[in-house]
Amino acid sequence: MATVALPTKKPSLITPGFLGWLAFLALCILIGLVSAYEVLTKGLSVTNMSNTVPWGLWITIDLSAIALGAGAFTLSAIVYLLRLKRFTPIVRLAVYVGFVGYTTALLTLVMDIGRPDRFWHPWAYWNVHSVLWEITWCITLYLIILAAEFLPVIADLPFFARWSWFGKLAHGIHKFAPVLAVIGMGISLLHQSSLGATYGILRSRPIWFKPSMPIMFILSAVAVGPALTMAIAHITEWATKRPTVPHDVLRAVARFSGFGLLAYLYIKIWDLMAVTYYGRSPQVNQGFAMLNDQTPYGFGFWVVEIIIGIVIPAVFFLSSRFNRRPVYLVVGALCAMIGIIANRWNVTVSGLTVPLSYSPGVLYQSAAGSYSPSLAEWGVAIGVIGYALLMLTIGLRFLPLFNNSAHDEASKS
Amino acid sequence: MSKKKQRVTVELTRRDFLVLGGTAVGSIVAAQVLTTGVLSPFGGLKQRQVTGEAAPEKASSQYHWGMVINLEKCIGCEYCQRSCSATNDVMDDKPWNLVVEDKTENGQTFFFSRPCLHCQDAPCVEVCPVQATYHREDGLVMMDYDRCIGCRYCEVACPYDARKFNWAERYDVNPYIPTWGIAEVPRRPRGVVEKCTFCVHRIDAGLAAGLMPGIDRDATPACVNACPVGARVFGNLKDENSKVAQAIANNPTIRVREELGTEPSVYYIPPAKKEA
Repeated sequence: MATVALPTKKPSLITPGFLGWLAFLALCILIGLVSAYEVLTKGLSVTNMSNTVPWGLWITIDLSAIALGAGAFTLSAIVYLLRLKRFTPIVRLAVYVGFVGYTTALLTLVMDIGRPDRFWHPWAYWNVHSVLWEITWCITLYLIILAAEFLPVIADLPFFARWSWFGKLAHGIHKFAPVLAVIGMGISLLHQSSLGATYGILRSRPIWFKPSMPIMFILSAVAVGPALTMAIAHITEWATKRPTVPHDVLRAVARFSGFGLLAYLYIKIWDLMAVTYYGRSPQVNQGFAMLNDQTPYGFGFWVVEIIIGIVIPAVFFLSSRFNRRPVYLVVGALCAMIGIIANRWNVTVSGLTVPLSYSPGVLYQSAAGSYSPSLAEWGVAIGVIGYALLMLTIGLRFLPLFNNSAHDEASKS
Repeated sequence: MSKKKQRVTVELTRRDFLVLGGTAVGSIVAAQVLTTGVLSPFGGLKQRQVTGEAAPEKASSQYHWGMVINLEKCIGCEYCQRSCSATNDVMDDKPWNLVVEDKTENGQTFFFSRPCLHCQDAPCVEVCPVQATYHREDGLVMMDYDRCIGCRYCEVACPYDARKFNWAERYDVNPYIPTWGIAEVPRRPRGVVEKCTFCVHRIDAGLAAGLMPGIDRDATPACVNACPVGARVFGNLKDENSKVAQAIANNPTIRVREELGTEPSVYYIPPAKKEA
């Protein structure tokens, strides 16, 4: 066990608080496993999804988890392409958070498809016209890239010191970090926007069918992803009482997110005005009238998405009165996260709520969708969130995510 | 500030010349290939818009199966839906064949019915990530139940609500069997999407036995056979003497949501206008 002998004081691994947290996560995962068993044995009939609303809570989780994982490609690009080296101390954490987000999304996706045993079909049977096929491939490739970017961190673990070739290989791959960042950024830009295109290309659904959908998806992901990484660094610091990432870096990330949110707000208002209002068709009008009439769509959009999700975090991130205090940054990031989840939910469910009208007559249209998740759906959701939090806990506890030497270099230069 | 005139020279080495020239030629070639060449995603689209000609026929065989539904004749008896549900062993709560009452703009009641429209530019085929739903050479939009992963994107994408997902393994008793026919195809497994097939099993078996779908009952979709008023006509759209081609030639017809450009293979004869 002749590893590098650093005079670090061994942190006590088990504290009552940590044990309690682990027990809580175990409970979440247990609930998830029981619900998953229910779903896998009885089929998707235990969900409240229907032929009118075939997508629901789980798709919302997929979309949100991938969007929240966008900090990985954004911050990698900032460090390796724009060469802003001062952000180096947060890259490892961002890549890890991205990895957790993407695996969470895949886990949920496998639960959501009717035939989980055929999850590999998109790799084997190609339909190059399908956005969903492209997303599947992008996510697969991007997970590989994230793993390659993350390999040096794993190799740095004392455990792997006994196999020196592994460390050499990992650090050899790390030399290609800029190349990986370029490919990763290309693939991320592609699939983050394609997730919006999943809805935007559907000519059959009037309130989804618009070219602004992919732009709003990618901008929101670029804005909120890094903010979540920043919040996790702060929360870890509170929980472990040890420094993680220098606060000036975290504040810079928050400001970046703040400007990202403002750009997102601009595009959202532009979409509302140019695409939805002035570019409206009778079907779009009818759809929104129905949504405002029968669902809390307006509240969800203005209060949760715009005020809680964009305005409050943007103020907290940009105003120097707030952004010097970590508590505001964390609250802001959580607000932005709520906003993005609400947005993905609103997009999915409201688009499916609006009925289709295809009869040549004036009366008939398909039934209006109504949906609220069932117990089994909530159970699986709690399970995958438990999985994500457990992965984060394990990573923050056992992986050298906070590279202090890189921090020293950055502060010197 | 020196008063000396500075001569500005542009140094152009052979290498620069080759790079710039290559870039220019390459751009021209790329532009040409992308706008008019085979790689152009808009090639077909542009042609259609400029010349106003009909969409290129997807059906490449000598057949293109289509249907004409006469809304003037339909009496809303639901026989088509019942015989379909028996023949294809469809679950009761979302039939492949939909029959509903509707009103025209001047308040006149009529009955609208809808099988799968077998679009020639079908949104479901476009979005399927695994090509589990695909076009056949005779224009049919088919489902491969062994390949479908159950993502339900096609269900979301279909403009006509024609698709149905199997949310659970089926143990129900089909109330339409045997009164309205017997099941001719197996039930679909849990977790895949299904839809009307134009009774493809009858078409294929019929053609193999030398029968003509639309004329010989054994080769014709169950809904067409069951219609007591002859509101549904089936046949080969490519044969101008077929019943469907004649019905389209001799009547005003519409296709539903035609503005989406889906090119359905099902045509409707709208209800005749009556004075109220």
